[in-house]
Amino acid sequence: MNAESLSLDTIDIISQDHYVKSGYPHREWAYLRKHAPVFWYDRPNVRPFWAVTKHADLIAISRQPKQFINAPRLLITTTDLEIVGGEMLFRHLLNMDPPEHGRYRDLVNRRFTPRAVRQLEGEVAEITSELIRNLYQRSRDGVVECDFVTDVAAKVPVDVIAAQMGVPKQDRHQIFTWTNEIIGSSDPEFQTGGSAQETLQLAREGMFKYFADLVEDRKKNPKDDLTSVLAQSRMNSEPLPLFEMMSYFLLLIVAGNETTRNATSGGLLALIDNPAEAEKLKRNPELLRSAIEEIVRWVSPVIQFARTATEDTEIRGQKIKAGDTLALFYPSANRDEEVFEEPFKFNISREPNPHVAFGIGEHFCLGANLARLELEVIVRELLKCVDYAELCGPVERLRSSFVGGIKHMPVRLKLSPPA
Amino acid sequence: MKVYVDRNMCEGNGRCVDAAAEVFEVRDDDRAYVRMENPPEALREKIKLAIRMCPRQAISLED
Repeated sequence: MNAESLSLDTIDIISQDHYVKSGYPHREWAYLRKHAPVFWYDRPNVRPFWAVTKHADLIAISRQPKQFINAPRLLITTTDLEIVGGEMLFRHLLNMDPPEHGRYRDLVNRRFTPRAVRQLEGEVAEITSELIRNLYQRSRDGVVECDFVTDVAAKVPVDVIAAQMGVPKQDRHQIFTWTNEIIGSSDPEFQTGGSAQETLQLAREGMFKYFADLVEDRKKNPKDDLTSVLAQSRMNSEPLPLFEMMSYFLLLIVAGNETTRNATSGGLLALIDNPAEAEKLKRNPELLRSAIEEIVRWVSPVIQFARTATEDTEIRGQKIKAGDTLALFYPSANRDEEVFEEPFKFNISREPNPHVAFGIGEHFCLGANLARLELEVIVRELLKCVDYAELCGPVERLRSSFVGGIKHMPVRLKLSPPA
Repeated sequence: MKVYVDRNMCEGNGRCVDAAAEVFEVRDDDRAYVRMENPPEALREKIKLAIRMCPRQAISLED
């Protein structure tokens, strides 16, 4: 951490390069929480917005989805990466507002209840233990070096959500690639077309065409998967409009993929960086649930989402005008000193843990229970099989101020022989 | 006091049951229901916890 003092005039919480070089700007957010909790961020490289960094404010705004809506601006990017007409690239839950938002959400939300998701436990465990068996096969006396992201963390969520969608095994790698190109379009590693915009467009078109074909099949041969559910769903007595239906597939695939991957990698990193907590978890497996919540709070994979005020209002004395954008910074809320005791301590027994990494209210993460299940199973399997884990190369971060991504994480693992 | 679960918002997460099992239950339709018409004052703090913990903010209290 550099010793430069921060100032409101120069503070940077938005440029993608900042995130790739230094990770999350926790120092900057802490400064804002203390000195300017509702801060009008106006710089040449971004369309201005109110930076919301406090837990209480994030919750208050999230509880008013009609006063603070999603549709006009989904998230903050620097102007060079802002996709013109971005809202017309897709139309799904993230950029819908009540009452339409609820009608669309109701089509699939029963598949994501704790009860529905628990039924997937066996499948997730099988996927995970197979990955670990493969690693053991590559090992010498149980010691193996791998890229934890590409070899483990990325594979479980894509397999699970693709299976839920009904995507056959042979197509899952393509889905994975498209996801990277959509979420990571501002990162040169994932750019296929010339620019971020082109990369995202090509991937989106590819995914839309893929799911249009799958939907046609499921209309004729319905199965018990999400594609069939959406293929047969009706809105106002009509089938779903094609654009909204394709957008829904894109959302389910991308949202379920990227974030859980990052929580998994970030979680392993937290356990490596905090060996006492890792030991505590090994000795007390009943702490698994609370450890997962702490991993989610600690990593906070989603950095921000934006809201647009629909009427003039006031927050902490700041006058918000109708049409103003507010950016909700989830990782900042999750380190709020007024809410969390020792927020910068990774504590797997943290109780209570009222983090907002999944959001709260109308747009609360639809996949939260599924994400939790995946994390529980992965961490549980790793604790069973991994005697020790250490970094053996630099962690490479995604160039993004939207999702906190780890692209590559070289680790050396000592695995015990599979049962 | 009266406690309400907004049926449009509830998605059966069950955090309310964790906070106040005397007052809430999740039934087979994956939705939470209030178990008592007029919960006693002694349960107010637990109900307020349920209100805070509900991920969908589906619960409200009326005096």
